[in-house]
Amino acid sequence: MRALLFVCIFLIFEQYAECAAKKKEQVIAEKLEKLTEWSNRRPIVRLNGDKFRQYVKSVPKNYSVILMLTALRPERQCMVCKQANEEFNIVAASWRYSQQFSNNLFFAMVDFDEGSDVFTSLKLNSAPVFMHFPPSGKPKKGDTMDIHRIGFSAEQIAKFVSERTDIHIRVFRPPNYVGTMGVLLLFIVIGGLLYLKRNNLEFLYNKTPWGVASLSIIFAMTSGQMWNHIRGPPFMHKNPQTGQIMYVHNSSQGQFVVETYIVIFLNAAVVIGVILMNEVQHMKADAGKKRILALVGLGVVVLFFSLLLSVFRQKYQGYPYSFLIK
Amino acid sequence: MADAGVKPEVKNLLTNPSGWTSLLTFFILSLACLAGFSSRLFAVIRFESIIHEFDPWFNYRATHYMVTHGFYNFLNWFDDTAWYPLGRIVGGTVYPGLMVTSGTIHWLLNLLNIPIHIRDICVFLAPMFSGLTAIATYLLTKELWSAGAGLFAACFIAIVPGYISRSVAGSYDNEGIAIFALMFTYYLWIKSVKTGTVYWSMLSSLAYFYMVSAWGGYVFIINLVPLHVFVLILMGRFSRRIYVAYTTFYIVGLVLSMQIPFVGFQPIRTSEHMAAAGVFALLQAYAALQYIQTYMTKTQFRNFFLLALAGAAGLVFLAVIGLTWLGYIAPWSGRFYSLWDTGYAKIHIPIIASVSEHQPTTWVSFFFDLHVLIAVFPAGVWFVIKEINDERVFIILYAVSASYFAGVMVRLMLTLTPVVCVLASIALSKTFEIYLKDEQTKEEKEKEEEEQKEEKNDKLYDKAPKAKKKGEERTIEKSKKKEKEEAVGLNVKSIVIIAFLMMLMLFAVHCTWVTSNAYSSPSIVLATYGQDGTRNILDDFREAYYWLRQNTHEKSRVMSWWDYGYQIAGMGNRTTLVDNNTWNNSHIALVGKAMSSNESAAYEIMRTLDVDYVLVIFGGVIGYSGDDINKFLWMVRIAEGEHPKDIRESDYFTPQGEFRVDAGGSKTLLNCLMYKLCYYRFGQLQLDFRTPPGFDRTRNVEIGNKNFDLRYVEEAYTTEHWLVRIYKVKDMENREEKKLSKKIKRKASRKTSRNKRGSIKNKPKIVKGKKPAKTTNKKKKN
Repeated sequence: MRALLFVCIFLIFEQYAECAAKKKEQVIAEKLEKLTEWSNRRPIVRLNGDKFRQYVKSVPKNYSVILMLTALRPERQCMVCKQANEEFNIVAASWRYSQQFSNNLFFAMVDFDEGSDVFTSLKLNSAPVFMHFPPSGKPKKGDTMDIHRIGFSAEQIAKFVSERTDIHIRVFRPPNYVGTMGVLLLFIVIGGLLYLKRNNLEFLYNKTPWGVASLSIIFAMTSGQMWNHIRGPPFMHKNPQTGQIMYVHNSSQGQFVVETYIVIFLNAAVVIGVILMNEVQHMKADAGKKRILALVGLGVVVLFFSLLLSVFRQKYQGYPYSFLIK
Repeated sequence: MADAGVKPEVKNLLTNPSGWTSLLTFFILSLACLAGFSSRLFAVIRFESIIHEFDPWFNYRATHYMVTHGFYNFLNWFDDTAWYPLGRIVGGTVYPGLMVTSGTIHWLLNLLNIPIHIRDICVFLAPMFSGLTAIATYLLTKELWSAGAGLFAACFIAIVPGYISRSVAGSYDNEGIAIFALMFTYYLWIKSVKTGTVYWSMLSSLAYFYMVSAWGGYVFIINLVPLHVFVLILMGRFSRRIYVAYTTFYIVGLVLSMQIPFVGFQPIRTSEHMAAAGVFALLQAYAALQYIQTYMTKTQFRNFFLLALAGAAGLVFLAVIGLTWLGYIAPWSGRFYSLWDTGYAKIHIPIIASVSEHQPTTWVSFFFDLHVLIAVFPAGVWFVIKEINDERVFIILYAVSASYFAGVMVRLMLTLTPVVCVLASIALSKTFEIYLKDEQTKEEKEKEEEEQKEEKNDKLYDKAPKAKKKGEERTIEKSKKKEKEEAVGLNVKSIVIIAFLMMLMLFAVHCTWVTSNAYSSPSIVLATYGQDGTRNILDDFREAYYWLRQNTHEKSRVMSWWDYGYQIAGMGNRTTLVDNNTWNNSHIALVGKAMSSNESAAYEIMRTLDVDYVLVIFGGVIGYSGDDINKFLWMVRIAEGEHPKDIRESDYFTPQGEFRVDAGGSKTLLNCLMYKLCYYRFGQLQLDFRTPPGFDRTRNVEIGNKNFDLRYVEEAYTTEHWLVRIYKVKDMENREEKKLSKKIKRKASRKTSRNKRGSIKNKPKIVKGKKPAKTTNKKKKN
């Protein structure tokens, strides 16, 4: 008897489970249909609070969602969000148009101004945030991408996705034509100018512009512009406590942007001084003037070189030598 | 040009002038060589005659092999003690120029019955070549500007820190001889452009061959020379001289460079060399067009000429691109590509990005390495542009491109240094020519230079000659005062000269200081200085390697991070898994994975790699910052690149994103093999009464995981200051299976007691089992 009851209960339960499963299947199918439709329209599905709860948070689902929480409205003044959005778009588009596109991974985003409740429910107070919502269960610790450490370049996002979902997305960056177009435009402009002035190409034989051009390349390179370009240091440093502004990084390992400008200026001043001292010889002026100019040239060389040395001393602790200026 | 201006004045000199100038030149050059040689000896005098750092150890080992086994055996040398189990074909993966050079010197000296150990030749090779570099620079500058500027340049290059950094005694590396080869090739190239004879261009391609055999930087030459030719064509400076020079140089150089096994077919198969081929084709087209010109009228020709030239250039360009696309030409290799796309290496090749030499350069390092020259040399560029001719185009292109490359990579500062010396010497010599000129110009100018030389030597000997020099200066002043018709007054002149001399003196002092403080440490032997100035030598590295040599089996395999591979092979004479020739990234990643996994996972890797000993560098006791814990993140990163499933960089950080080894550090870090090997038994060591036991002096923290035992490895040796720690990997345990069976037995015995409560156990099974029952049902139905 008891066994029979047990079987009955079991059967009922199974029926119920079957029902539920069917219902779930339906729900999932509906969701998938909607999401696929949206993502066909746009690689990134835009969600608001309700949609987020319905499609991302609610339980029965069999797909992963990579969600970007961001604030793109211009009044929010989030510069990072814009860049992150672009990168995210690249990943989403690579996924959308890849061979292996299927409906078990979707890219979605929530803008703060459309779904601020999402931010409060996820206890977020900063943007942008990239999160992975797995097919079952809640997002764990590792499901939030650590953008402070690895950044948010498309490659890193793709790596994060493959770590969390085992789906490998080959990032396909749409080739950036801006650079090529710029170069092409420059060539056209130069070519056009040359063509317009074809009867008077003398200026090409003028050495001064060539000299200035090559000197500026040299100055830029020897003052660490490339370092700035690669490392992206701050322009200058302001001490938050005292409000004191530092123009020169006090370690020899680093530098500020403004510091390289200072160094360019000092280097250029020394060079101008040397050139001035040499040009004196060719000038057609009286002896007194020449004398003064030569001394001015020397003064410029000595002064700015010793300034350069003192800046160097400031950065390189324990350097013993100085010249005129401590 | 300047030479022509000086010549008539030379004739005015009292006694046989050419004799005097050549004597002075000889004297100054030999002094420059001497100064260059002796200022590179700091390390030898302070420590001993020893090979420095990492790469030199391999070069030394290879040289030693070549000297003992002969050249052909060296070329066919398959080194089975490196990159275990892969091995390395040394003869085919090395630039043999360095070994052949020192081998030849050794052979010559032995022929003359001067018995000398090959090690001493290796140690002193770079300082000797610095003298040759000074002479080559003199010759180059003389061709470009004037003999006076050449003397200046020779003195600068002899002592400038940017070059000393790679050529101190004991740093037995390719760069030491390559800079000489570079400057000499450039000198011969300028000479062949000037003369347009096959003789000089053959010589320059021979020098190029030497450069190719010595250093991978030869790519710089094979791109700069075609660039020079190309720009000359653009400037309308094409001439038969250039045609002869470049055609000969390219063809002979190409054939010769392909004789080096390591280079092989690269000159015709890779993109780095395609510029040279393209310019060669363009030059032929240009010459052919010029030939056609003789058969055409002027107006006819003008249109035809421009069209045909543009067509030829386009054709060459398209051909190169097409061949690259079809796969006949390899695209740019990562190392070269990262020079253009500066962010490339960081993302794609962590092993390149991890090397500190490949970082971009701050302005401080420019100033540190070149001092006053970096501020003055742009003026030289200016003067050269103002008085341009065929060969000066070359030095401008060199200056601009080298400064770009030096900005991208600290390591390429080395190629910038010579051109900075040349151009700064041009600027200074021009200035000195103006401000020293009176009726005895030339002689005195050289006197001044000689004085500078003396100044540079001053710090090597004593300070007495300075007073003498000042006296001399006064006599010069007096002689000047006689002439008052000069445009710029004599007082002004002497002020200018004195100020410049003071700056140059400062330069010489700076160079010595930098050489002595920054570039003269062998890094194998460390020195610490006590408060009273007493010196403490830490010789842990050699101690450890010697231990390996004496106490381990000949065939035993030592695992360490790749930095120490060459040293273990060179000093310990044991087989290594990875070394500084980082050719196989996945092998390095495997070692990185072993270091960053936990002990049991690492043991599996070590068993598969047949590791007998593990060697780690630990600086926590003496506060040595270059140890393995500080390099550890790169190991993790490189391992992650190949095994992203098993190793994740984020696991080694705290949730706040910090890398710390104290109690707050991440669990993965505190239990990985590298951590355990470094800090084994360190928790029991109290270094100081003010600090707790297990206080790491390098990172200034108390370590987080103190009391642990090692299961799969055992400590074999730890050096005096704990700098090097060697562990022996245990064999598989014989009785492990038995242990397991014991456990099973115990379990079985326990089971009986549990079986009593079997009914209780079943009950929760039903309650708890509901969920799994459900889920299994679901799954079935799905």
